[in-house]
Amino acid sequence: MKKIIWLGAALGALASTITVGAQTVPEIWHYYAAGSEKAGIDALIAYTNKQNPDAQVAGRVIPGNAVELRRQLQTAFMGGQPPAIYQSSMASELKTFVDGGRLHPLTDVWKEIRGDQIFPEGVQRVVKINGVPYGVPYDLSLINNVFYNKATFEKLGITPPADWDSLKAACKTLRDAGIQPLANAGGPFWSLYNFYAPLVSTVGVDGYYKIASGELAFDSPEFRKALALYRDTMVSCYAQNWSGKTWTQAADDVVNGNSGMFMMGIWAAAYMKQAGFEPGKGFDVFPAPGTDGKAIFQMDVFAAPEGPAETVKVAGKFIEAAVSPEGQAAFAVPKGSLAPNIEVDPKIYDYAGAKFAQQLAAASKANAVLPNLFFLLPTKVGTELGTQIEKFAIDPSEANESDLIATLEALRQEALAENAYTKW
Amino acid sequence: MKQLVPRRSVLSSTTRAHIAFLILPVALFAVFYVYPILSTAYLSLHSWDGVAPTMRYVGLQNYFVLVRQPRFLHAVMNNMSWLAFMLLGPTGVGLLLAALLDRGLRAEKIYRMIFFLPFTIPAVAVAAIWRWVYEPTNGLLTATLQAVGLGGWAQNWLGDPALVTYALMGAVLWWTTGFAFLVFFAGLRNIPVEFIEAARIEGASPWQIFWKVSFPLLWPSTIIVLGMAAIDAMRLFDVIWATTNGGPAYASEVLATQMYDVAFGRFEMGKASAISVFLLIIAGVVIMPYIAAMSRRVAESEAE
Amino acid sequence: MTSLSRNRPAAGIVVFIFAALFVAPLVLAFLTSIKSPAEITRVLALPSGIYIENYRIAFERMGRSFLNSIAITGPAVVLSIAVGAIAAYPLAFMRGRGGRLTYFVLLTGMLVPFQIVQIPLFLMIRAIGLFDTIPGLWLVHTAYAVPFCTFFMRNFFASVPRSMYEAARIEGCSVSGYFWRILLPASVSGLSALAIIQSRAIWNDLLFAMTLTSSDSARPATVAIAGFASSLQVEYGPLMAATLISTLPVMLAYLLFQKAFVRGLLGGAGK
Repeated sequence: MKKIIWLGAALGALASTITVGAQTVPEIWHYYAAGSEKAGIDALIAYTNKQNPDAQVAGRVIPGNAVELRRQLQTAFMGGQPPAIYQSSMASELKTFVDGGRLHPLTDVWKEIRGDQIFPEGVQRVVKINGVPYGVPYDLSLINNVFYNKATFEKLGITPPADWDSLKAACKTLRDAGIQPLANAGGPFWSLYNFYAPLVSTVGVDGYYKIASGELAFDSPEFRKALALYRDTMVSCYAQNWSGKTWTQAADDVVNGNSGMFMMGIWAAAYMKQAGFEPGKGFDVFPAPGTDGKAIFQMDVFAAPEGPAETVKVAGKFIEAAVSPEGQAAFAVPKGSLAPNIEVDPKIYDYAGAKFAQQLAAASKANAVLPNLFFLLPTKVGTELGTQIEKFAIDPSEANESDLIATLEALRQEALAENAYTKW
Repeated sequence: MKQLVPRRSVLSSTTRAHIAFLILPVALFAVFYVYPILSTAYLSLHSWDGVAPTMRYVGLQNYFVLVRQPRFLHAVMNNMSWLAFMLLGPTGVGLLLAALLDRGLRAEKIYRMIFFLPFTIPAVAVAAIWRWVYEPTNGLLTATLQAVGLGGWAQNWLGDPALVTYALMGAVLWWTTGFAFLVFFAGLRNIPVEFIEAARIEGASPWQIFWKVSFPLLWPSTIIVLGMAAIDAMRLFDVIWATTNGGPAYASEVLATQMYDVAFGRFEMGKASAISVFLLIIAGVVIMPYIAAMSRRVAESEAE
Repeated sequence: MTSLSRNRPAAGIVVFIFAALFVAPLVLAFLTSIKSPAEITRVLALPSGIYIENYRIAFERMGRSFLNSIAITGPAVVLSIAVGAIAAYPLAFMRGRGGRLTYFVLLTGMLVPFQIVQIPLFLMIRAIGLFDTIPGLWLVHTAYAVPFCTFFMRNFFASVPRSMYEAARIEGCSVSGYFWRILLPASVSGLSALAIIQSRAIWNDLLFAMTLTSSDSARPATVAIAGFASSLQVEYGPLMAATLISTLPVMLAYLLFQKAFVRGLLGGAGK
């Protein structure tokens, strides 16, 4: 009995010390939980809070990835307690929430920041739904670069390959020297991102957008040709057992000289730099064959849920400060991503970042800035495409190829029937 | 034994006391389980992206679509493999270790800590640790095999669709054996010492004592461990989600991870709810009869 | 007990091998926790020194949430075991259909994947004003532990001979008197085992914490730990440091409660 009384007293004491958490400061939900990503968002919020003394915001980390964030958002929307702003993917994901009537149109903010001038055309089209901007871009990463170990390339006399044949030759030289040619990692994204290069080489920019809008079939000769090119080039170069590695383990292989090349988003530059492998010294990059002069990008945007006028106003002020050149510099430099705002001074970047910024600017001029296909497709088609490409890359057998084509084509028909495709 | 207490009304005072004990737990259950389960069943009859304010009634369509999907059936089969594994693996190893340690070994306390420690590690860290163990070219397992001259046995542990589930089982064995170990150990220590002494005086060997005396008396612990193993096998989520996300290409998917991916990765809440309902039904059909049978056995052994 | 271990060498070898297998990944985790980011790129290489920065980051990032975890776990463990034991007692001794049916209905709760209850749960907890509070988590952890704790204690109570119950009742012991004075003391191994299991389960919960807390005043350490593994980047050093720190309280609970794993004495508890 004594114990129970003691426990009761302890419970009471604990309960009394607990303050009821009141949510007073508008929140920004994001999943930049760790490393340079966290450093970036922390710096950004610090900057905007300094700029907007009367519109303070607080960041809230949702550990995990976009999927966990969506779960959290769904709960919050159901309960009528969404954040002021959240980190959203572009295109389809944005559209789902717009169609659900959850998001506040950012037309005024867009006008204020001169969105139509500061963002490349390819960037603009994935944040507007029926011409209305619902997301403001702030975090852009190119996904069409190949990283390579400089020392290895120099030792073997390899120059960065510019076309598919020289890529295959480079792979052969590396393999003969006992080095795994091209690192890759398991998961539904990485093989798919690699596949974009052969895809664009085969179907061109127009074809790329036609796949995104559902006009080009997965059983078309063009798509089959792209698959064959992917199989004969990159897949044949992949490191042994690549599918059992995470992308950081694959990057470690490049750092340690076990692999020669690695096609990955530009966040890999920040990772390698942090591991003491300097851009321009330890590693360098080249655009994947078929993507020179183009920029394929992955991007996150800020979206503002419908809410009390006061909160929406704070969200607007936050976004305005966040996409200003200063706000963009505060975020992009520590994070190792690019500012989608092309008015940002390229001098803020390090060696690798400057190179990526140059690629983006050139592609923007040539009107060849391509959004990540994954997010242009209806969500279920994009996700399935990623999974099927990974499966094909693990085992590019004819059975898997026809399975891939049949599955995706059936899904395309289904999505067409449901009117799920969008012309971005 | 009701007749010992005089019946006053329809319910004896004993029964009333028993019911009084049950009020709070049953109330908690009703509030926190029944409503969510019903709302899931309701959702499963609809097409809903989880975001839109309205949903469309589609009847049993989600269920029909699922049973024809190879992806769904594959996940069901994986759950069945996990069921077999969980019943045998962690349970067997846990019992073995508990029985061996119960005899008293030198450094017993340290062993007890070692076997339990992995069980206390959060899933996200288990995933990170086993990602290094299973790194295919220079991870701990591959390097160890190479060091002892068995480099040829090294595999693409987490990257080979045919192998990934078995690899994950290794991680789960490490992670959850502590549970079985703990329950069996507590169960062994709960066995009245007189029983063992009596058998020992009669000249039984430790082996005989274990199988003839201890193990039958361990029955309640065994039910707990097997029951939980079966349930964990059906509900399995964290480690798989954190280690492979169900990949490569769905190979390691189980129903709970597939439900999560369909719900929040693809915005198909209705279909995801149907997966949950299937999970409940399958688990109910596979596990509940077993638990019922086991409990009856406990009741019978008590009656003796 | 030494007299029982006639074939000790064989047993010792088997236990030692298993211990080695169990320890190896832990050693890997520990070494990683003291490696610098550059060293982490080589999995098996030994660290050149102790990179204490990882522990600093781990402490800084967990901060107050570690205290929250303690404030959540302690009472929630006690409450969940109490409710489980209260439910298990009548279910272990009731005869007839009603008891068995209640037991099975409660057990079905164990089959529910917790991911599906989150939205209704969020709405309920907010409605009663316990959103983002530590008592809210006590309630939820207690409620969702009902099936498991009942199952566990029901089976442990079964190992206490039924003859004791009947003897006590004949001697005039009341239903609740038997529970408090005889049954609970006789089940101390089971209660302790359950306390350990519940400590671990509640301490490591991430899902309920994510749904039901939003501010630093209530979020537990698991949220901070999961945060080291972001979508793109994983800070392995601090992650392992934080993991090792966070296992300490559960290990402490383990060491504390396992002292109660003493040999049961037949009928001894009742006298």
